[in-house]
Amino acid sequence: MTGRTTPTVPTTPAMPTAGRAALLRLTMPGWRRMAPGLCFGALSGLCAVLLLAASAYLITRAAEQPPILYLSLLVVGVRAFALARATFRYLERLSSHDAAFRVLAELRVGLVERLIPLAPARLGGRRRGDLLARMVSDVDQLLDRPTRVIQPLVSSAIVALAAVAGVAFLDPSAAALLAGLLVVAATAGTLLHGALAARAERRTAGLRGRLADEILELVADLDVLLAYDAVEAQLRRVEDVDARLRRTALRSAAGTGVASAVLAAASGAAVLGLLLVGLDALEPPRSLGPGFLPRPGEVDPAMLAVLALVPLAVFDVVAAVPPAISARRGVLASARRIVDVASEPPGASAGTSAGSSEEPPAPDPSAPDPSAPALELIDVAVRRPGATAPVSAPVTLRLRAGERAVVTGPSGVGKTALAQGLVGLLDHVGTLRVGGVDAAALTGEQLRRRVCLIEQDAHLFDATIRANLALAHPQGPEQADDAALWTVLEAVGLGGWAQAREGLDTPVGMDGVLLSGGQARRIAVARGLLSGAEVLVLDEPTAHVDPAMADRLHEELLGAAGDRAVVLLSHVPVADRLVDHRVRLRAAGDEPDSLI
Amino acid sequence: MKPLDPRLLRHARAARGFLAAQVALGLLRVVLVLVFSALVAAAVVSGAELVGASSDWPLAALGAMSAERRLVLLLTALAGVVLLRAVLTWAEEVLAARAAARVKSQLRAAAVRALARAGDAGLDVDGDVDGDVDGDADGAGLGVAGGARAATTLGPGLDALDAYFSRHLPQLVLTVLAVPVHLIVLALLDLTTAIIVAVTMPLIPLFMVLVGWTTQSAQCRQRDRLDTLGRRYLDVVEGLSTLRIFGRAHRQRENLHRLSEAHRRSTMAVLRVSFLSGFVLELAASLSTALVAVSIGIRLVDGQMVLLVGLTALLIVPEAFAPLRQVGATYHAAADGLAAAEEVFAIIARGEGATTRPAGDQADAVGAADSGAGVARGARLEVAGLSVDRGGRRVLDGVALTARPGELTVLTGPSGVGKSTLFAALLGLVPAAGGARLHGPQGEVPLPRAAIAWSGQDHGLRAGTVAENVALGEPAASGAEHAGADGASSVRSALAAVDLAALDPRRRLGVRGDGLSGGQAHRVALARALHRARARDCPVLLLDEPSAALDAEAEQRLLATLRAEAAVGRVVLVISHRSAVIEAADQRIDLVPGADSSAAGATAARATAAVATRGGRR
Repeated sequence: MTGRTTPTVPTTPAMPTAGRAALLRLTMPGWRRMAPGLCFGALSGLCAVLLLAASAYLITRAAEQPPILYLSLLVVGVRAFALARATFRYLERLSSHDAAFRVLAELRVGLVERLIPLAPARLGGRRRGDLLARMVSDVDQLLDRPTRVIQPLVSSAIVALAAVAGVAFLDPSAAALLAGLLVVAATAGTLLHGALAARAERRTAGLRGRLADEILELVADLDVLLAYDAVEAQLRRVEDVDARLRRTALRSAAGTGVASAVLAAASGAAVLGLLLVGLDALEPPRSLGPGFLPRPGEVDPAMLAVLALVPLAVFDVVAAVPPAISARRGVLASARRIVDVASEPPGASAGTSAGSSEEPPAPDPSAPDPSAPALELIDVAVRRPGATAPVSAPVTLRLRAGERAVVTGPSGVGKTALAQGLVGLLDHVGTLRVGGVDAAALTGEQLRRRVCLIEQDAHLFDATIRANLALAHPQGPEQADDAALWTVLEAVGLGGWAQAREGLDTPVGMDGVLLSGGQARRIAVARGLLSGAEVLVLDEPTAHVDPAMADRLHEELLGAAGDRAVVLLSHVPVADRLVDHRVRLRAAGDEPDSLI
Repeated sequence: MKPLDPRLLRHARAARGFLAAQVALGLLRVVLVLVFSALVAAAVVSGAELVGASSDWPLAALGAMSAERRLVLLLTALAGVVLLRAVLTWAEEVLAARAAARVKSQLRAAAVRALARAGDAGLDVDGDVDGDVDGDADGAGLGVAGGARAATTLGPGLDALDAYFSRHLPQLVLTVLAVPVHLIVLALLDLTTAIIVAVTMPLIPLFMVLVGWTTQSAQCRQRDRLDTLGRRYLDVVEGLSTLRIFGRAHRQRENLHRLSEAHRRSTMAVLRVSFLSGFVLELAASLSTALVAVSIGIRLVDGQMVLLVGLTALLIVPEAFAPLRQVGATYHAAADGLAAAEEVFAIIARGEGATTRPAGDQADAVGAADSGAGVARGARLEVAGLSVDRGGRRVLDGVALTARPGELTVLTGPSGVGKSTLFAALLGLVPAAGGARLHGPQGEVPLPRAAIAWSGQDHGLRAGTVAENVALGEPAASGAEHAGADGASSVRSALAAVDLAALDPRRRLGVRGDGLSGGQAHRVALARALHRARARDCPVLLLDEPSAALDAEAEQRLLATLRAEAAVGRVVLVISHRSAVIEAADQRIDLVPGADSSAAGATAARATAAVATRGGRR
């Protein structure tokens, strides 16, 4: 779990806003897809307002005791608005959720594509609990954007505008008052909300990550805490962060509370204000009759009732604005954290020319020259992203097909970094040639087709052995036949074990939990054998394997490698008869080691 | 879903006070709504009177006033009610947030303590049985995957309770209070309206229950699928570097797309049904408004009713439905919150089920924290008849061994035979039959955990300085401010013993020791065990593969250190594969797999064979 090491966390510059904008674009379903949901939402809101207005008008008019015939249109309208409101609301929810789920697919894929160039060097150093929180909840949070931010904002804006226009038909000053109070409620409520709560909310995001980390540390290594009497101290740390989180959350609640209060006050003030304006302009009712139509600017008692009641319905719809703004802040915070992971600091592209391009392979510029060394390093050293100084002293090595080199060195000197450099996952300085071709002339993908790295902590996917092996097949997993898979499985000494289980269909579990550490490593090596690369780089293949097994494993692995060239990075001794070259990796600044 | 889980009230006492306060505020809100409705209606009727309509007033005093004076009075009262309502809204929100935050804290605290207790009792804290793990079972702790799951449940998972407390529960309380009060008031105003509302309203819960039944199983399936999708996604993200190495990273696009698309289709199928409950709610609320409006209108035309009553009733009807609609609208968010609480309750229940370890085993360890549990150095470690079952499989079967103070004892055996499990059993981190005792000059006692300094296969480092990690459990020794004091020097000497003298004790590590290489982390963990052995004067030192991360020279220096630790009278028991360690040992104990291997290849280590060799390098 510590194989991907980044001793110094690279300095991440202020997040490029372009990156966040691009990410936020990913969360938008596109207006065409959102249009039905927005339409239905606005219609549903309008029907709610019209239902109350028509009911109030109907009742007040009825009190004048006109012939009932003239009220029948109103009766129909009231019933129609009631039915339409519920129906449109149902349709709105369905279509906005459908659009949102379509975005989820794009979002997940888009994010993975952004992460690819950063793996592995720039992903391992992240705080694990945080990374988890990011991937699980932040992506879901971004999904809120269409359903919980844009949808309510747009439909309540449409409803508010329509209501103001309708009121303006009766009395322009009443409309101005209503518009003013709506603006006050929306902006003051949200601005107040923002001022009081934004900082606290930003702080909770970080504290939530801290809390997840503290809980992870408590639970994941409980045995260590128990054995060192440190459980109580860790529990206190959890409770400490929890208490801070609670205080921050409360501060934020005081803000949102003020926002809701302003909204409630504005709603009441609108009723009061429209009543006052309406009373001022009140005139005696014209009696209902054939061809009766309300005239602009004419406020009779029935219209007074409409004026008094419309704000209630409108503010009911507009009440969705503060939660939407708050959801928007959550979305932005999530986007920011995701972009922090997914954006690269300038000048730290993952590779020189090799590795910078992740496009499907262009035709290989030059076929390997069989007479040239399979792998040639001339003063090669590796740089971590963002760093200018190389990790370790330069290495020179010439390796022909079928030859084996072992690279040793104290732990921490940069063996893993060198291994990543050899396959273009990290920048290198010096000259690296593969089959006589300069690595600088190859894309990262082309380089990795020729040089295959078997990582110290290669990931095992939660699937079968077959799936975990087949992904390494050079022509794609579909092309991998069982015979080839069994061959590599036998070569790493897992044939008998697999046969005793469910063969190639044996599951390995999440993170390979169903396998022992040694078995997991063997599967990783089997993948390398299957990959068809001419050069294999084995990073500590025998860590945590017993010595008798280690020697056998070295022998078997190197034997299985056949005429491939192999670079073995190891801190345990490797028998002389197995090795053609030995390189001792030194820290940067030491004398360079030449070929032995 | 139960509307209010009694366990919530039991485990989170903050929830009770909240409920009481919520009832008080809810009643106040109902009264304000009724008064507000009546005032608005009265204002409209007074307006009509201004332009010639006549009306009856229920209160003689109101009727006696002039229309203008009455209006001034009504509008002033209305302003007061509006203000009160705003203040009430604020109070309700703050109260709900406070309740949510405190309940979450209380649940979280109960759950983490339950996790700790379950680990202490040697239970698998996540309740899973690790079926056929071939490696050495490592005792308590969930490992990273399980830890991450617990962190998710207790972190973002519990946050789902926010919606329950701030939105669902207040509306639920309000529904219980408001519906009867509103119905009574409506009945007093106009019996027909009350009957219409009373008939339409029960349709809502009835229909919601029906829809709930039909979608419940579908929703469970959906939740499972969502879980799977999230796990798959995490799997891909964690495996990105592997995928990239094999040029498969970009092929994940179709994969993820297909998964998400299948997820969308099945979710929409469920939503189409489950949104029906919301539809019925909206429909019942708006239709009853429409029915009431029409029926009042007709009776007004016939002169059977006065406008004031009609308008007031019209205003009250939507308010009677409002809390119910909110309950429906927040139902799903609340269900998520309660589902999260459910998981937390399960964790707490497992912790409650975890009986404390047998007396005499752990009991003496608790009190005597800083003296190696009162057991002096120089005691002999005797293990007899030690058996461990893991996941229904016997891992260790009647292991017996003796490790003497002053000697370096090495424990060997093939991978997976149960060496690490033996250590975990000695530490009391897995349930075991039989046991280990210390035979000292003062007599014999069961081996307490406090007498052991241990380092395992996983380093288990945490966020904090190197010094804090090395001096884990000894807070006094870890402070950077005592740079020159005993504490810091003991840390430095422990680091020096594992060839890490150059590592700055004040260096900050990330979560789970992030920032160190695997080898460095392993050695810091080793230094931590040495530090504990010295600081607490532990009679027993258990080390799992101590030299795995060392080169040959450093390994020799470490062996010298271990020999020195043995020389002061400690039992030094080391698991190792390394030949240098085996050669240097005074005694070698070989743990061999038992003879009775089953079809699955499961073998219980019978491991009694103790082959003593003399590594004559004393």
